[in-house]
Amino acid sequence: MVRNRQLARWPFLLACCLFAITAFAEPRFPPPDFSETQHQLPVATTPAARAVWLAYLDVAVLAASLGLATWFIYKQRSRRGLFWLGLFSIAYFGFWRKGCICSIGSPQNLALGLFDSSYAVPLTVTAFFALPLVVALFAGRSFCAGVCPHGALQDLVLVKPAQVPAWLEHGLGLLPFIFLGAGVWLATTGSIFLFCQYDPFVPLFRLGGRSAMVLTGVAFLVLGTVVGRPYCRFACPYGALLKMAATVAKWRVRVTPDICTQCKLCEHACPFGAMREPEQGTPPPGQLALERRRLAGFVILLPVLMLTGAWLGGLLGGPAARLNPHVALAEDYLAVKDQAPTQVANTPAELALSRARLDPQSLVTKAAQIKRQIVIGGWIFGAWVGLVIGGKLISLSVRRTRTDFEPDRGGCFSCARCFESCPQEFVRRGVGPASAPEGLVGPADAKGAHV
Amino acid sequence: MSDTVVIAAPKPIRSPAELAAVWRWAAITAAIFSIVVGVAMVFAHLEHKSSDPWRSPELLKLKARLRDEPHNDALKTQIREMDLQLRQRYFHLLSLKASGVYLLCGGAAVFLIAAGQVRRIHRRPSMPKLNPLAAEQLVKARRESRLAIAGCGAVIVTVLFATAYGSKSPLPDDAVVAAKLVSGSEATAVAADCATDDELRANWPGFRGFDGNGYSASGSLPDSFAAEVALWKSPVPAPGFNSPLVFGAQVFFTGGDATKREVICLDANTGALSWRQAVEKVPGSPAQLPEIPEQTGFCASTAATDGRRVYAWYANGDIAAFSLDGRPLWARHLATPKNPYGHATSLRTWRDRVIVQFDQGEPEDRLSKLLALDGRTGATIWEKLRPVGASWATPVIAEVAGKSQIITLAVPWVMSYDVVTGAELWRVQTLEGEITPSPIFAGGQVIVASPSSKLAALRPDGAGDVSKTHLAWSVEEGAPDVTSPVSNGELLFSVSSGGLLVCFEAKGGKKIWDHDLAMETQASPAIVGDRLLLLSAKGDVVVCPVGREFKELSRAKLEDAFFASPAVANGRVYLRGNKNVWCFGVKEVAHVH
Amino acid sequence: MSDQPQPQSATTRRQFLRDGSRVAAAAGLGGLLALVGTRSQAEGTVWQINPQKCLRCGLCATSCVLEQSAVKCVHAYAMCGYCNLCTGYFEPEPNDLNTGAENQNCPTNAIKRSFVEDPYYEYSIDESLCIGCAKCVEGCNRFGNGSLFLQIRHDRCVNCNVCAISRVCAGDAFVRVPADKPYLLKERH
Repeated sequence: MVRNRQLARWPFLLACCLFAITAFAEPRFPPPDFSETQHQLPVATTPAARAVWLAYLDVAVLAASLGLATWFIYKQRSRRGLFWLGLFSIAYFGFWRKGCICSIGSPQNLALGLFDSSYAVPLTVTAFFALPLVVALFAGRSFCAGVCPHGALQDLVLVKPAQVPAWLEHGLGLLPFIFLGAGVWLATTGSIFLFCQYDPFVPLFRLGGRSAMVLTGVAFLVLGTVVGRPYCRFACPYGALLKMAATVAKWRVRVTPDICTQCKLCEHACPFGAMREPEQGTPPPGQLALERRRLAGFVILLPVLMLTGAWLGGLLGGPAARLNPHVALAEDYLAVKDQAPTQVANTPAELALSRARLDPQSLVTKAAQIKRQIVIGGWIFGAWVGLVIGGKLISLSVRRTRTDFEPDRGGCFSCARCFESCPQEFVRRGVGPASAPEGLVGPADAKGAHV
Repeated sequence: MSDTVVIAAPKPIRSPAELAAVWRWAAITAAIFSIVVGVAMVFAHLEHKSSDPWRSPELLKLKARLRDEPHNDALKTQIREMDLQLRQRYFHLLSLKASGVYLLCGGAAVFLIAAGQVRRIHRRPSMPKLNPLAAEQLVKARRESRLAIAGCGAVIVTVLFATAYGSKSPLPDDAVVAAKLVSGSEATAVAADCATDDELRANWPGFRGFDGNGYSASGSLPDSFAAEVALWKSPVPAPGFNSPLVFGAQVFFTGGDATKREVICLDANTGALSWRQAVEKVPGSPAQLPEIPEQTGFCASTAATDGRRVYAWYANGDIAAFSLDGRPLWARHLATPKNPYGHATSLRTWRDRVIVQFDQGEPEDRLSKLLALDGRTGATIWEKLRPVGASWATPVIAEVAGKSQIITLAVPWVMSYDVVTGAELWRVQTLEGEITPSPIFAGGQVIVASPSSKLAALRPDGAGDVSKTHLAWSVEEGAPDVTSPVSNGELLFSVSSGGLLVCFEAKGGKKIWDHDLAMETQASPAIVGDRLLLLSAKGDVVVCPVGREFKELSRAKLEDAFFASPAVANGRVYLRGNKNVWCFGVKEVAHVH
Repeated sequence: MSDQPQPQSATTRRQFLRDGSRVAAAAGLGGLLALVGTRSQAEGTVWQINPQKCLRCGLCATSCVLEQSAVKCVHAYAMCGYCNLCTGYFEPEPNDLNTGAENQNCPTNAIKRSFVEDPYYEYSIDESLCIGCAKCVEGCNRFGNGSLFLQIRHDRCVNCNVCAISRVCAGDAFVRVPADKPYLLKERH
């Protein structure tokens, strides 16, 4: 018993030696020595933080899930497998890990780590940032398909998908890129982690949180019953990164791995508006020249947009800096510095101001440095917004050639829904009617018929 | 009849339509259930947030009533019952919310499964049709998309623009400009609401000058201190052993006794009385005054000024601030000091703060503390308890590695505090006796004296208890007993109350010479340029060179008694005697104000 | 088909562009990771409150993402004076020095007061009831030895990427600390 107690005290003593802050405060009331009763002083318990190896387990689970998802998408072509993997991700990364650690927030940690030398990025966070991106560079958005709990949750609630008009899809499609820029911009100074602050699903995984975000999460889910994955498509900043990586991916998801018969059965199979119809045919005369002029115009417009954006971003830097607690406090302090302070500070704001009064010099200097950094970052952020808008306009003006029905490289979440709509798939799995291949139009004929 | 029907007949399979109806019914029920639970949870949440037991107005009202009727036992019972009820309710709502979440999740899961089944049953294979307008539609969609992006871009730009222009910030994004907004040492000092350090250094704003070392590197002393060459002399209107301050064309000191305590201001050019203000009706100051021995009096503490206000402190614990033109600003009674010889520690200012070393009683009384007050309001900015008893030394402010420290003396500790936050920086155990000499900071060392027993030099760059490591040197012979030492960084002088003047090497503490001045010395000496100025309790004013050999350059005898230390500013020397304030030096001065 | 070689070549060109972009993206990602790698540490961090900077503003009770805050009061018993009139336990000017609700400072009855020897009482915290409101911490720091202080309890904390309380903390007291040394305890020196 005694031995046990001594053992139990060890971590505490060790803890005290290692990180007790040297305090010179003089006790007003001398602690008693309990000579009479020999009373033993209890010690405060210090429940340990989550073990380090569990963080590595998270990385291992992430890597395994990514591999499994890719295998389900490319080898098994199994919607069912992805569905169960999604459920597992919701359970593990969502409800068990409470939505933290998560890849969506990781770009902010990297940004902070790059610009703030006092912050070291934990390797697990780096892994959560890098692994899905590396996979996306080769195999597309396997992460979104069934590993990301946010995506899986939205996928789960999708009951009756409706198509979003293309113009709305493209217009709102700007938002993830702008969100990404803003989040990274503000994270470099440690001002605010926008992605985490405005994450609609983490409060749901935690079964509680800020009321506004809980309601936003519920709203996203209700919307998600009819609009497929609204957060992934119109907000997710990490999705924007994955989208860019998936656009240049080595392999891509195809409705059919064999040959497209252009039966059009998959036309409406994608609930996320990522299915692309064949595009070809000769444009009417004059049309091509017009398109080329338009394209040239947008290419010239791009630097103009970026410069305008940079100017606006610089202007925005001032108010955005207020999101930094130090800057906000410094501004509040400067606003009232000439007024006599209240004798007793009570509210948190008054207490913070009393702290500012202790050493206004260093607070204001530090705040000004942060503000300068945010203003400079604002230029870059603005230029990025200009680049996104201009780039999107250019990409919409480029004439494309597509012979088959195929999912958009960037927009496809690899959810495997479209596979089930393809008659070739049934043949491949041997579940379709044996006569199907003969009943269908032969590939060569089909192509010939359309060309 | 086909085979399938025959097989199906004995066990009626529900038709897809029937099955769909069941699932639909389940989905609708689950949806309604979820909505009801959701709404209930919103209400529970709002109720929970407003049911914090500690904010219940009824409970607060009852507690307020109990203060008026402290013996009402029924009321106590009522409070206890209400408190229990409120707490139970609070934690009940908390658990209700927790269980509600699970109900909601369950409801949502049933809804999703049922709705999925309904959809599965109703799913019709798509029937693709040839769309001859596909190409045109694609072009149209592209055009619309471009417009949408342009529209989205315009909206974003407008929002950014509105945000950028809708806000005004007082904070510049340049650290140097920002620093000037709040700096006390820049010419543009506004925020700190005090004179700049340079301005204060050119004057004599506290006991033994700006930093309390009694050393003015750039000044010079008049050739003679004979009564006939005095620029002026002005009778002291109220008694006190405190030293004068000089700021611009004003000389300040305090005076008074058990009946009345005042701040007095003289015109530095003529010696005429500018104003005198009594410190009266201080909130919380008891009518019963402490017993103060005659040798100390009520006004032993020297006042201090930050160039905007003058602060005075008296042996009954009253502290008061006046504007430079004599307007009372604020007054506080800190506590009546427990001090057998009467309180004598002087005030010190740093920027617009007043530093108060309030040591009293015995260490075990735990009454001693160090405070920083806001000069504008008198509000306490920080307050630190000190593990010491009464002392009579005045703290000095030393700038070490760009940071200002407050150095305090009291048996047995020399303790240093960060002036900004009040955090203790280091302490050295070296003092003994009854600490009257104040410390000085010279040549990078803190010089402290234990009366008649030890003179020691400490390095001020430690952290924590550095008694064993940061003592540079100490000597036992030639330590002062009442007066404070003085040094130009190279040579160190100490003078005992019997008049024995000793000169040491500031580095190493080697004694160079000593000389008996044969006069009773109570006032601390000062170094002005390369001259040492000493005053006696019998009216002697002695000037010696700061050098490795003793020489007496001049000695004058004034009809007065000097207990206060001299003030030196703008080429003039101000001496406060028990009878007169004397002014020597140049006639016309360009005042820094 | 054969008379339309253009799409074919466009596809190859596009393929080439794509391959090039992928290599560039991979190189960029690798560079970024290498750069981050120099500023990484194997070990994770957790949030903690520096008790020396805490201003006892009360926001810990209301700003945590958890329904019941992960911040709790912790007692450094070795610093405690074991006072009969504990200014952490009792309201200012208590009616009587007993455990009646009318005298208690704690809104949730989370502090237990037990007699040790005359005149000393021991005060311990029931964490299931403590909501981290810092009322007792304020009383103890203002008038007592300061042995009560707030800490994030890591059996409850979900370790958000940015702690929601740290964003509003009046004292700027929230810091990231190594996960294997997750407490900043007050200790008698």
